[in-house]
Amino acid sequence: MLAQAVQRWPIAGLGAIASNASGAAPLFEALCAGHSGLSPLYGFDAGRFRTRHAYEIDDRPAGADVPGRATQWLCEAVAEAVHDAGIGADLSGIPVLIGTGLRELRSIEMRWTDAADFPLSRLHFGPALRERFGAETTYTVSNACSASLYTLGMGADLLAGGAGDTVIIAGTDSISMSMFGLMDRVQPGAVDRVRPFDRNRRGVLMGDGAAAVVLRRDGPARAWLRSVALNCDARSETAPDLAGITAAIADAHTRAGIEPADVDVVFAHGTGTALNDEAEAAALAKTFTGTGARPLVTAIKSMTGHTSGASGLMSLVVAAQALGTGRIPPIAGLTDPAGEAQDLRLVTSLELCPDAVLAQIQAFGFGGVNAVAIVEKGDR
Amino acid sequence: MTGVAVVGAGVASPMLGSPADLLRPPAGRVAGFDPAALLGGRGLRYKDRATRLGLLAAARALEDAGLLDPATTAGPLVPPAGTGVVVSSNLGNLDTVCRTAGAIAAGTVAGASPIDLPNASSNVIASSIAIRFGLRGPNVMVCNGASSGLDAAFLAASLIGAGRVRAVVLVGVEPVNEVVENLARTPARELFDGAAAVVLEPEASARARGAVPRARLGHYARRASAAGSAGRALGHGGPPGLWLAGRTTAAPPALVHVHREDLEARLGAASGALGVLQVVAGACWLGDERDGPVLATAGAAADGVSSLLLTSLGG
Repeated sequence: MLAQAVQRWPIAGLGAIASNASGAAPLFEALCAGHSGLSPLYGFDAGRFRTRHAYEIDDRPAGADVPGRATQWLCEAVAEAVHDAGIGADLSGIPVLIGTGLRELRSIEMRWTDAADFPLSRLHFGPALRERFGAETTYTVSNACSASLYTLGMGADLLAGGAGDTVIIAGTDSISMSMFGLMDRVQPGAVDRVRPFDRNRRGVLMGDGAAAVVLRRDGPARAWLRSVALNCDARSETAPDLAGITAAIADAHTRAGIEPADVDVVFAHGTGTALNDEAEAAALAKTFTGTGARPLVTAIKSMTGHTSGASGLMSLVVAAQALGTGRIPPIAGLTDPAGEAQDLRLVTSLELCPDAVLAQIQAFGFGGVNAVAIVEKGDR
Repeated sequence: MTGVAVVGAGVASPMLGSPADLLRPPAGRVAGFDPAALLGGRGLRYKDRATRLGLLAAARALEDAGLLDPATTAGPLVPPAGTGVVVSSNLGNLDTVCRTAGAIAAGTVAGASPIDLPNASSNVIASSIAIRFGLRGPNVMVCNGASSGLDAAFLAASLIGAGRVRAVVLVGVEPVNEVVENLARTPARELFDGAAAVVLEPEASARARGAVPRARLGHYARRASAAGSAGRALGHGGPPGLWLAGRTTAAPPALVHVHREDLEARLGAASGALGVLQVVAGACWLGDERDGPVLATAGAAADGVSSLLLTSLGG
């Protein structure tokens, strides 16, 4: 199955923080236990919105928003991943690629509305990573909801190109008022939780979170990165496109040197919107139907909310642990699969799957930016 | 970045009539500059200024590279799945974000306009370019501070080097509007309003289709200081013929006597557009057969400073 010519990179360290847990291992355990980070909206004045729930990290005094939170979580996730990989916290000379949907836009909004001061120079994350870790080769990529899987692919390209032995990939996002408000405005009604692939889904809810991985040339692997496919639908600013998503999945398989039938579990983008779930389910059906394979399909946004640009890498951090332990976390609250998802093997309660070797992780963003990664079970 | 060439270039700004203007004394504002009118076609009505500027610069660079039919200003003559887009901008959508948050904070979510949704996503410039020209390769929005344009050039070349794409449309753009003026605490006349774009392509494949490359991308480095990154990008080569850098950037010994051009002194603070403006200026310099190579340096001391070498194709 494993073609010798195919390159694979050790994922040497993991880090994550979300509304339901702090730390990569606690996040994985929370997801396996079905613990959601959903709560009534408290970072913003709920009276101004129709939608009054979100998946927020509870690190603020009651009723008061504070700036710089996405930066704080990014630093925590990177510190955890670096510690996990045992490489020391001096990151001078190590490239750090940060994928984010919303940068520190929430902090800039607070400045604009006179709620806080915040320098424009901190809209991206380079200065904070320089301060905290001495990192000087930092790249903030704002690629909507596939940002951190995009940076994963770009980081792997840097290793493939021979630059250094280590790169750090991270994703971080805090809920911005503009995006929360606009999503509230365009969805059919108030949304009270994220229900991927469920007939009774009502739409997407945003979440706070960050994730980080250390990618290395050699050494022990929590999981192996086999491939990341990157493309763009070039069709719509906001709607997903079946052709683009299907092409990204096929490209991820080709790059990994695998067949669709080799995939054991899919970590879906699964946002709980009709637009995403229908296109994503159709793409999975197109990919796997007739191959003899029926991989498990799960979606962590049912418990973390949509953590925007951080979400793809967060799924990958969970997937690495799922393969390592043979436990696949469920889609929380899924009771009645929607029509298009009838043929998918959706995970409705914790699945024990010790033989699972390959996971496929999907992230799709506004502007039709698609990223699909394949990871393989590691050796530690 | 071996063999990655700058093939076509374009600018879109009320301050610039053509790429060559980057190395000329200022000629005053272009009268009646309207990117949407110059672009023509559908789908521009709800695009923000940064996106319109980026689209126009991209169209001009594609046309200059011989990849766009000027009669239709719609692509593609390039292989769609094999062409990527990399855009650098820090301030592009801050007007939409701040106006929307301001409306909600002053009332309720009913004050937010649904038509603003696409522009609230920071990558709207890059994805709009992909949609207009049908470019289905990797699509990347780099928002990396003062060095962002040079970093975007490096990341674009990396996509080519990794074999993901056969060409990349690289764009740097910043708009001027009230929100930007306010947040930058800088009056409009001291801010660059516009975009620059180039098409990057492997030199060999550009020549094979009859295009004439203008310059080659050389070494790149991002370091803690200008001296560190410039030294690394220059390597063991001799001094460049031109150094594109801020006038207050401390010159390392190798660059003290090199002719320096500070594009921002002429155009205003260019933020994420600067690095791509430098690539266009450097390509023009080398295309005029002036002494190369050209070194471009941009960044901030508290963040990181990037340097990129552009070399002549040697006739």
